[in-house]
Amino acid sequence: MSTARADKRLYRWIDERYGVSPLIEFLRHKEVPLGAHPLFWYFLGGTTLFFFAVQIVSGVLLLVYYQPGENTSYESIRYITTKVPFGWLVRSVHCWSAHLMIVSLVVHMLSTMMLKAYRPPRELTWLTGFLLFNLALGFGFSGYLLPWNELAFFATAVGTDSVKSVPVVGNWLLQVMRGGPDVTINTVYRFFALHICILPILTVGLITVHLIFIQRQGMAPPIAKHVAPRGMRFFPNFALRDLLWWILCLAALLVLALLLPYGPGIPGVEWELGQKADPLAPAYPGIKPEWYFLWIYQLLKEFPPHLFGLEGPQVCLAVVSLLMTTWALVPWLDRKARRDEPSPAFTDFGVGAMLFITFLMLKAWDIGAGAVADGGFPDPAAVARPCAWILLAVAVAVTAVRIAVYRDRWFVFSGAAVLHAVLHGLVGLPYLAAGAIAAAAAALATGFTVARGRTSAMPAGGGH
Amino acid sequence: MSHHASPARLSRRSVLNVLLSVGVLGWLASVLYPVIRYLTPLPLVGPGGPVQLTRSEVTKIERDKFAIVPVGRRRVLVLEDSEGELRALDAKCTHEGCTVKYMPRDSLIVCACHNGRFDLQGRVVAGPPPKPLATYAVQRDEEGVIKVTV
Amino acid sequence: MPAQAKDLFNDAIDNELLNEASQLRELLSLALSPSKLELLMRDNCVLCHTDPEAQDPETLFWTDPEAVGSPPHLNLREVVRDVHFRRGLSCSGCHGGTPTDEDMADEIYDRWPEAPERHADRTWIPDFCARCHSDPAFMRRFDPSLATDQYAKYRESLHGKLLLEQADSKAAQCVSCHGVHGIRDSKSPRSPVHPRNVPYTCGACHADADYMKGYKDAAGDPLPTNQLEEFETSVHGRALLERGDTGAPACNDCHGNHAAMPPEIASIGQVCRTCHSGNGELFEGSKHKKAFERNGWPECEKCHGNHAIARTDDSMLNEKSNPLCYECHRENAEDNPDCIRTAEYFYASISTLATEQKSLAEQVHQLAEKGLDVEPLAATVDDMEDTLRQSRSLIHAFDRSEFEKIEKRGHEAARQGWEQVEAAEGEYRFRLTGLRVAIGFMILLSVALYLKIREMEART
Repeated sequence: MSTARADKRLYRWIDERYGVSPLIEFLRHKEVPLGAHPLFWYFLGGTTLFFFAVQIVSGVLLLVYYQPGENTSYESIRYITTKVPFGWLVRSVHCWSAHLMIVSLVVHMLSTMMLKAYRPPRELTWLTGFLLFNLALGFGFSGYLLPWNELAFFATAVGTDSVKSVPVVGNWLLQVMRGGPDVTINTVYRFFALHICILPILTVGLITVHLIFIQRQGMAPPIAKHVAPRGMRFFPNFALRDLLWWILCLAALLVLALLLPYGPGIPGVEWELGQKADPLAPAYPGIKPEWYFLWIYQLLKEFPPHLFGLEGPQVCLAVVSLLMTTWALVPWLDRKARRDEPSPAFTDFGVGAMLFITFLMLKAWDIGAGAVADGGFPDPAAVARPCAWILLAVAVAVTAVRIAVYRDRWFVFSGAAVLHAVLHGLVGLPYLAAGAIAAAAAALATGFTVARGRTSAMPAGGGH
Repeated sequence: MSHHASPARLSRRSVLNVLLSVGVLGWLASVLYPVIRYLTPLPLVGPGGPVQLTRSEVTKIERDKFAIVPVGRRRVLVLEDSEGELRALDAKCTHEGCTVKYMPRDSLIVCACHNGRFDLQGRVVAGPPPKPLATYAVQRDEEGVIKVTV
Repeated sequence: MPAQAKDLFNDAIDNELLNEASQLRELLSLALSPSKLELLMRDNCVLCHTDPEAQDPETLFWTDPEAVGSPPHLNLREVVRDVHFRRGLSCSGCHGGTPTDEDMADEIYDRWPEAPERHADRTWIPDFCARCHSDPAFMRRFDPSLATDQYAKYRESLHGKLLLEQADSKAAQCVSCHGVHGIRDSKSPRSPVHPRNVPYTCGACHADADYMKGYKDAAGDPLPTNQLEEFETSVHGRALLERGDTGAPACNDCHGNHAAMPPEIASIGQVCRTCHSGNGELFEGSKHKKAFERNGWPECEKCHGNHAIARTDDSMLNEKSNPLCYECHRENAEDNPDCIRTAEYFYASISTLATEQKSLAEQVHQLAEKGLDVEPLAATVDDMEDTLRQSRSLIHAFDRSEFEKIEKRGHEAARQGWEQVEAAEGEYRFRLTGLRVAIGFMILLSVALYLKIREMEART
């Protein structure tokens, strides 16, 4: 009882000086909407934030021993993982948490997409979230090189190389990124500065803005479901649940870090130190970038050297930029959600985008290639076929769930993604030709539904 | 805190509070223990050495004029030349990877496998080795402690 | 094109030595440095002999001789890469005459026999090359480090004796190995006498059963022609030809080159000792040394063979897999059962060490996958590898005393290795325990928190 009184006295002491009671009051009144969606979807942002916090703590710990430099980058990481007590744990947690952060970030972003939480007035929350996603990718890319091992060296050489396709400033940008024409230890210095200073400052700033937006506007209510406005108090009810979930996340993180210290053993999700980088050694085949870059890496491979009088990589980069920009502008493009109406087209747009990326990732993993002779490359057709079958299976499962559980009726984009994979993998058309046909089919179908929606909207007066 | 709670409820709540406190303390300990161990510096200096030779290795150098010393993942030949200067070279022959030895009488480093010969700077003097041996830094302080840096 | 080179071409056109567009194209396609181009363009021999209008195919130099029906040695591209040409020696250096002459001097025709005769009788060649290559004062002007004793050695070699004493023009002379028009430095990987090419250069004749028909070895038996085939599968051949290890011996490293001859029984051991000196020394002090001398056996070859020498294997010591030691000992040393016991002991010891080393090496791999520090263990495994190597070498003393020392070191290392494995596994157990404790606390905390939330929400 006396402790409780001491608590209260401390609170009063702080409150008198800094006036925190309005803040507490605000938190008490903040509510998480209940009833429309499973509560799970509201934990994802917090999960991402938790993993980011783990990244800061474990990153600062790594910084205690890590020394960037020609003769120290690799050696110091080696020293951390072999000699420093619990150094293996710190590095393993840092790597696992990095990947899990991106996983939860992607799921968070997708759930926002599906639930249309980006609609007004929350467009800027979506946009800051999208920027944070890009910063997270930057974290992954810059952190990957720091151990200065063979795998990181070649992945970075390939990854930075695509920058030169940027029109006009490409070569300059490449040199700025690499600190010279090639990936050298100078690149490590630059990536180090980026990874531990520039990106963290930007990220913390943006997270603050992102959170202020959420606190000012509250969490997005479900779209036009007209359920009774029920809510759960954010503080302490929801916050304690958040805490509980974080503790479970930390436990999972520890288990993974100990049992799989170098990752799950999938190309693009592994961080065994291996050999020190040797810029003079020839690259070996099978070098893959981190999993979240795999789709771009594969897309680059699908483009011929020249297309429409431009260089293939340039066209590819333009396509990727177009897709990313579209994604960023979804809150403004989605007219129905803006009117607080159900927007099945954009739900399907999200699913279609995921299928599109999944197919590219499957291909990048050379699934179904079988054993490839040393130094050889798998036959692209032999890879495309099983990948198309897998994608088809995934799409059927997802569609079945969408029809049965969510009563979705709009499948143009996901259908186009499946058509693309089928035309390419099963019919045998080139990837780009299949893509063009699928895109044209999607455009036609969209035009048709819009037209029909207009005519049928008159008598029915409501659409969906 | 709550004045309406029955005594049974109250005791259940205090059990819960104890449980919670134990959980928080245990959790804190299991997070802080590794961090504290991690931050406590090791007696040996940072990555890449220097590595201090053991007493038996030092005696071996006094007796045979050389010793093969493991430094990290490498094997290093530490030798004392005719002038009493210490030298450290990679002990792995660049030909087939046999361990070399120092011949004090000829001032040569010899690989017994295929008769490869190196001078004390590691340069190939004779035989099949394609590359010279790498050299490393080695120091001896006043008390006779020898340290190798790779 | 530099002005100087342009002048050279203009001069050649003015002198009517450069008449054909195709000839100009040939000369330009060589892409020579200015100094080389000058050497070429100031040489009327070259200008005239690259003119397809002036020459028959038998005398026309072309970059692709096959295309114009010229013999392969008239390859212009090879000529300009010849080591002699690179050092400023052009056609007249060997053929005589003066490069600035408009017509060929009689001297050129008199220098060596007429075509059919000179192709049938090759005895004039060594003498011809030796005019320069045996003259130290002359050779010093070009390459002071090059030996000048080739001719003296050649005369003593079996090839030299056949050619010079028995006038057998099938015997190898300078051109057979070094080629003509396009002779390269022996260090060039494209030279036929570069170590990696030597086996095939020798094999061109020695692996040709028809060519070698009628030649006999010292014992009077027909000379075998399977040496190249055997060498290719041998440990030396694989190192040299597959791995490109130029430290591995080619034919000439054992047989000599200019003084090529088979090593006699007495000298085989010496040939091997140039590289395998350690084993040679051990053999020298062994009981075998005397026995081998008494019986007139070739030392190393007796057990290891010659051209087909295989990678040595521990099973060579095992009676079941290889009767090598046992057969010989039963025939020649029946009264000494200790020998058999020694061989058995060697085999047992080496096998034990090898098994230990292998299973420790596997441990390195397994422990590393668990994220443990395997550096000390890897060092121990290296150490064991080293003792194994030494123990395999030490059997050549055919005596237990030295061997036992290294065996002891091997067992010591193995013991240390297993201690390190135990330590690493202990560390892993510690990690797992730590994880269990931490997870336990976290589960406790989660459950307490969950109950707290429920209790709190029940109240309101």
